[in-house]
Amino acid sequence: MFSEVVTPELFASAVRLATPIALAAIGGAVCERSGVVNIAMEGLMLISAFAGVAAALLFGNAWIGVFVAVLASVLFSAIHAWASINLRADQVISGTAINILALGVTGFLMETIFGHPGTTDTVKTIKPLMDLPAGGGGVLGTIWQWVDVVFLSYTPLVYVGMFSAVFLTWAMYRTRWGLRLRALGEHPRAADTVGINVLRGRWVAVLISGFMAGLAGANLTLEQVGSFTENMTNGRGFIALAANIFGRWTPGGAYMASLLFGFADALQLKLQLFSDVIKIPPQFFLMLPYILTVIVLAGVVGRAVAPASVGKPYKEKG
Amino acid sequence: MSADPQAACELPPNVGQDRPPILELRNVSKRFPGVLANDDVSASVAPGEVLALLGENGAGKSTLMNVAYGLLSASAGEIVVDGNSVQIRAPRDAIRLGIGMVHQHFMLVEPLTVTENIVLGMEPTNSWGLIDRAVARKRVVEISAKYGLKVDPDSRVMDLSVGMQQRVEILKALYRDARILILDEPTAVLTPQEVHELFQIVRELVSQGLAVVIITHKLDEVMAFADRILVMRAGRVVGETTPEECSEQSLARMMVGRDVVLKIDKGPAKIGEVVLDVSDLVVLDDRKLPALKGVSFAVHGGEVLGIAGVSGNGQRELVEAITGLRRPSGGTVSLKGRDITHDDARRTIAAGVSHVPEDRHRRGLVLEFDLVENVALGDQRREPFSKHGILNRSALDTEARARIKDYDVRTPNEHVAASNLSGGNQQKLVLARELGRNPELLVASQPTRGLDVGAIEFVHRRIIAERDSGKAVLLVSMELEEVMSLSDRILVMYEGRVVAEFEGGQVTEEELGLFMTGGGRTPTEPSRASEEDTGA
Amino acid sequence: MPEQMADTPPNRAASTVDEKQFALEQERFQRGVRMATPFISVAIAVLVGSLVILASGKDPVAAFSAMFFGAFGGARQIGETLLRATPLVFTGLAVAYGFRSGLFNIGAEGQLFLGGLAAAFMGVALGGLSWMLSVPLILLSAMIAGAAWAFIPALMKAKLGAHEVITTMMFTYIGRYLVSWIVTGPFKAEGAIPQSPMIPASSQLPRISDVFTFIQPNRAHFGILIGVVAAIVVWWILKYTVLGYEARAVGFNPTAAETGGISVAATTIKSLCISGALAGLAGATEVMGVHYRLFDQFSSGFGFTGIAVALLAKNNPLGVVAAAILFGSLSAGAGTMQLEAGVSQKVISIIQGTIIFLVGAETIVSWAVSRVRRARGGADV
Repeated sequence: MFSEVVTPELFASAVRLATPIALAAIGGAVCERSGVVNIAMEGLMLISAFAGVAAALLFGNAWIGVFVAVLASVLFSAIHAWASINLRADQVISGTAINILALGVTGFLMETIFGHPGTTDTVKTIKPLMDLPAGGGGVLGTIWQWVDVVFLSYTPLVYVGMFSAVFLTWAMYRTRWGLRLRALGEHPRAADTVGINVLRGRWVAVLISGFMAGLAGANLTLEQVGSFTENMTNGRGFIALAANIFGRWTPGGAYMASLLFGFADALQLKLQLFSDVIKIPPQFFLMLPYILTVIVLAGVVGRAVAPASVGKPYKEKG
Repeated sequence: MSADPQAACELPPNVGQDRPPILELRNVSKRFPGVLANDDVSASVAPGEVLALLGENGAGKSTLMNVAYGLLSASAGEIVVDGNSVQIRAPRDAIRLGIGMVHQHFMLVEPLTVTENIVLGMEPTNSWGLIDRAVARKRVVEISAKYGLKVDPDSRVMDLSVGMQQRVEILKALYRDARILILDEPTAVLTPQEVHELFQIVRELVSQGLAVVIITHKLDEVMAFADRILVMRAGRVVGETTPEECSEQSLARMMVGRDVVLKIDKGPAKIGEVVLDVSDLVVLDDRKLPALKGVSFAVHGGEVLGIAGVSGNGQRELVEAITGLRRPSGGTVSLKGRDITHDDARRTIAAGVSHVPEDRHRRGLVLEFDLVENVALGDQRREPFSKHGILNRSALDTEARARIKDYDVRTPNEHVAASNLSGGNQQKLVLARELGRNPELLVASQPTRGLDVGAIEFVHRRIIAERDSGKAVLLVSMELEEVMSLSDRILVMYEGRVVAEFEGGQVTEEELGLFMTGGGRTPTEPSRASEEDTGA
Repeated sequence: MPEQMADTPPNRAASTVDEKQFALEQERFQRGVRMATPFISVAIAVLVGSLVILASGKDPVAAFSAMFFGAFGGARQIGETLLRATPLVFTGLAVAYGFRSGLFNIGAEGQLFLGGLAAAFMGVALGGLSWMLSVPLILLSAMIAGAAWAFIPALMKAKLGAHEVITTMMFTYIGRYLVSWIVTGPFKAEGAIPQSPMIPASSQLPRISDVFTFIQPNRAHFGILIGVVAAIVVWWILKYTVLGYEARAVGFNPTAAETGGISVAATTIKSLCISGALAGLAGATEVMGVHYRLFDQFSSGFGFTGIAVALLAKNNPLGVVAAAILFGSLSAGAGTMQLEAGVSQKVISIIQGTIIFLVGAETIVSWAVSRVRRARGGADV
């Protein structure tokens, strides 16, 4: 059974399933580094997943879908930014409001546009970036098969996730923007007193996380599933938050942590195929990512140090 | 380094007054809801001049300077730089005009390095638009050499001492080519030796043509270092003078508006039994590093034992260990012979330990609670406040009203939220709760921080009253003057150990300061304390 | 407030205004905003809902009047409103109690599932007993189950500082799958549908109109009365017991509470478990008063709506009852609205989200108030 379970497809599936979590978690890392908690990522993913499908169906082009998905997510993240940055609202509550709003808005639009609740029509999903020929037989063929499947078989947004993990980690530690971003989340008043615009910096960070959550939603519907189902994000936004903590508030770390969740998900899907061999009800497999999240949090929280001012509204002047 | 620091001190003291002012504040008013913090205030400072802005807490000094730095916007008035009227809407405007400010609470990002903190907001970039770290580091090294401010550019700020952090703050301003440097209560956290070094640095800066404004409430510093003194009271300027023209006594009268007794009145101590006995106490800090490395001492009934030391040498951990907020990892604490080493805060309170914490907003009060519920805090499980887990609201109200009256807490009624009281009244409320419980031991940590003179006097009188009624008092304070005037005995803490013990009134600030920085431990030092008391 | 600058309020020793007067005014203003926020928020949310309906090409007036009729048009409609308000009273109390102790129990939904599971199981198990024994026992076991489901997140919060928003949310998903497995496997009734066996009449909460026959028949059951009692008990706990006092102290300022001898960890655990127990009751009353059995879709997000209920009530237990009835009426009227005005029921989630947004972020409402004042040329506070 081992050789049937541990295949290149298992790892590829792990990367694919990790991608929406990772995209959101990377955005979450940027956002929290600026001092704003974004628990709205669940809702942002949901809105963009829906907007992507709706636009793709309307325009008959999945890439327009991606664009609209990102736009919708950025717009909703602007609400969160306005409430939590300008009006200094409780960030967790503002995020929760957006999560519930997202359920309502997607459900409402679904019934208004498609005339029924549940699942939308199906769109043609985005194809993998590269379509390489399968290798021949022999050891070389096997190696090629592994390389091809595990590294070269993905759709574009999967690569965007990998690239942004590397790029944003670099940017966070090597660029002016990154230095200022880290200062904002640690000691916003210090940043203010040297002339850095705290509110603008935080706005940019929240919008970046909106952008990333938009990509996550688009990846979910336009690259993976092909249709939208109500509440289909199923807690991925919350898992992304945990991944961000596990990754110690760095984009790269968040990506690696997401891979762990993706792998758990891929493994449970694979193992479900062997339900006649392993007599475990499917619900227990489905629980796995959530249980893993709890275990990860139990193991890492307390040792990981959050940005000092995360979650605290900043008042510019009196 | 080009200039000789000694040369600066030989400049004539009034050098600044002949030059035109570089910064002028004209008729500035600043209104907060319910308070007029600045009322038609005018002030100016010239290059080469040290201006002291003297006033007690809440007089409006910091407000005025925060207006000049763009952190607050004035309700009325004009700011003039180099003879031109300017608008300062945000710190970036102030920076552009050459104004730099070192805040009382440092504006440093602790996990970042010294260099990163200094260049933050004005980072040198290379042709790719990326931070040029080599250039940044070089500039920092250059400036610190030019002004004689030695600091390691690559250390993380969180690893630096307070004095070093202050240097980084000054470097931050100089990096931005500040011509006017505002220092807000710069000596509050420094040892006497560090204060001396700071004023040498200030002299060096002034000699190179900077204008320096020092916000302070300490009379002796003003007398020693200012060229010109502006005294503020209740939001107004009440006088302008020079150290030559005035005395500490006359300054104090101007600052407070009445005659002030600078020395507290207290009779000789009537020493009683040992109340608190601390022996070989070892306590870890939040990072699990030893903060107390075997501390032993005793506090008797009828005495005030003062603890002097630079912030961060284990005082906080000591207080938390005694009051049950932190588990000691070794040694014992006992109260009247009863072992309370491992008691939690609730049991410690019940055993008779009262605690006036250093931060009344964070630790002392639940600001959202009304005064009644704040008075109950710590006694909520005890009769008559509650029985079988049910609160006795009428007993609570009665007790709260009585304590509010006893401790002169000014409030419309006992059901307003504590957040609506002034700082002084909030501290009185804390005292009303902690002393009203009639403890065996009072642990007071920074009990007068941020209070005005009236409230300070009140707190001091109450502490002495506790002592005179035979109770034991452990006083921890960064204000050496406070420790010296209240204590019957003084211990000095340095790096988690008690390094010296003095009888009250038999030691100078300089001697204390020496031990506070570890200097007193050298064998050549004549005033070295008896080592057998350190429990080493 | 470590960032408070030395001369800004509340350190206002230099006050030129009478201090007592100022404190009173401050208190009055704060109370005014607190009282007005929920009402203004509901008004704005209804406005937002109307705009959404308008944008979808429907008539908002027709929609809301249909909704109002559907919720309050007669005994049957009022009964439906109360029926739907019942679980919201409990989840609203659960979330409110959490908030009062500084905890955001976003996972009331999961605790509700466990409460429902316990109720269904005990309901069947205690079949032979008189209702006078079985009903209290079932309610108690649902409370224990809900509390148990909150216990691990509570422990993780108290001992490790793991944020309860993530952990209770994860436990919600785990709880749902657990129930889903139980009703398809070990506790499945006969037949094709995945659901538990029916609980016997002695374990059910009767309809109010079945007992008091002078009331026209409707579906409201005795759960709502249990809810009102629970609200009064929670109010009493918060105001008159050491337990509630300590919970509030920790909620406002854990550091000061700790200094005052209150164990923050123990209080956190107690509070989140009490919150879970209240959410468990929501699951129990749904099983005992509405469905009489358990199935995996038996809650339509009552736990999440409970957040809106608690916020709208400003975490006041008695206000929770009123807010729950408001949300119950939205839910009861939504069906009529969809039927008669052709507007999707989902619009009520939009209204809910808007209310959470507005009440949760009190600053938004005071911002709006000050904007309106300024527009009218009034004094700006």
